[in-house]
Amino acid sequence: MSKKPVLKGLSKFVRSVGVCMSVCIGVAAFTLCTPAFAQNSDDVGQAALIQQTELNPQSQPQPGQTPAGLQERPKQEYAENYVFVDAGKRREFLELTAELRCPKCQNQNIADSDAPIAHDMRRKTYELMQEGKDKSQVIEWMKVRYGDFVHYQPPVNAVTIWLWVLPVLFAVLMLVFFILRRKPDIEQDIESKLARADQMLKDD
Amino acid sequence: MIRLARYLIPLFVFLGMCVFLYKGLYADPTIRKSEVLSKPFPVFELPDLEDVQILHTNEIFDGKVTLVNVWGVWCITCAIELPYLTALSENGLTVVGLYYDQDIDPNFGTKTLTRVRQEVAETVSRYGNPFAFNIFDVFRDTALDLGVTGAPESFLVDENGVIRVHHLGDINPRVWRQKFSPVLNEIAPSIEASIALMNDAITGAQAGIGEGVSGE
Repeated sequence: MSKKPVLKGLSKFVRSVGVCMSVCIGVAAFTLCTPAFAQNSDDVGQAALIQQTELNPQSQPQPGQTPAGLQERPKQEYAENYVFVDAGKRREFLELTAELRCPKCQNQNIADSDAPIAHDMRRKTYELMQEGKDKSQVIEWMKVRYGDFVHYQPPVNAVTIWLWVLPVLFAVLMLVFFILRRKPDIEQDIESKLARADQMLKDD
Repeated sequence: MIRLARYLIPLFVFLGMCVFLYKGLYADPTIRKSEVLSKPFPVFELPDLEDVQILHTNEIFDGKVTLVNVWGVWCITCAIELPYLTALSENGLTVVGLYYDQDIDPNFGTKTLTRVRQEVAETVSRYGNPFAFNIFDVFRDTALDLGVTGAPESFLVDENGVIRVHHLGDINPRVWRQKFSPVLNEIAPSIEASIALMNDAITGAQAGIGEGVSGE
């Protein structure tokens, strides 16, 4: 094996970097797999909504009202106030608005966004919950209209499976490659070099 | 050979990543697939903006091709496309407005229906009135059913009430040629022929202006 030491050192370095990277990517992929990470949302928006839901319990949207009765509607507050009798329901509402993604703005959940569409979606979420729909039904309702984009947890399907599989596959491949490429003849190499050095010394 | 591959493979991987990331640099993250395309228009029963006693239903689509334009006076882009939509309606295309207002909603404040009508009248008298009539989407439920994310959005609905084109943003001759023209040519060729002539006239006139400027 007559290889330039610089190149050899370089290839070794590249290989170890490759292994480190693949391990990192593997770890990241597994972190992403856990639902806790995907649902990790902005606490600020949630806190604001908690406040909103607690304040002003007297006024609330009236979804069932007929259009004809529009002009007789009482003057309403600007902020939306969603009233829940059941604390569990309220928790569910806050979870939903944190999990659902605003389709208009880039990467904000509907609890956090002030876009008109986010207001509408919060109101719709509330309405659907009042109708007795559970969390998954509300998410499904939104998905039918706005696609998988609207939920922060992407479904695992034929397209998205690669997000999880590719990094792991890459890490495994790199590991196999690394093990296969390890050469046991380094010692011999050194021995032959030492012999050559001895020879040179003798020649002098 | 193997030695050469050892240096070429990373190079190609690097170049591949460059192409991928370069494309990503100019990709529009707001473009999304419409969920309502090729589906029947959502079932609705909504009042007319001018007279809330008149109720519009999906029957409005029967027997003709309709362009449903989701709009509001508060939306600037909607006003910009009004003249072109008016030109479309003059060429025989039925344009129906799906009107929604933020300020008449509990979330956004209070505005009377009379005030809304007044503003609509002012806007259409200034920029053109393409609308056969305006459907008043009171609680914006139909807009939600349509997957509307913000005004303006337009839907080309065929005579069976199926949505054939869903467009976000304003409509102009360029957008029309790209998105609407092929579909309308299929479902209402006579209207499309008339609109195509008009588009050619508009772009011809614009090209003429361009030449005039460059010639100076």
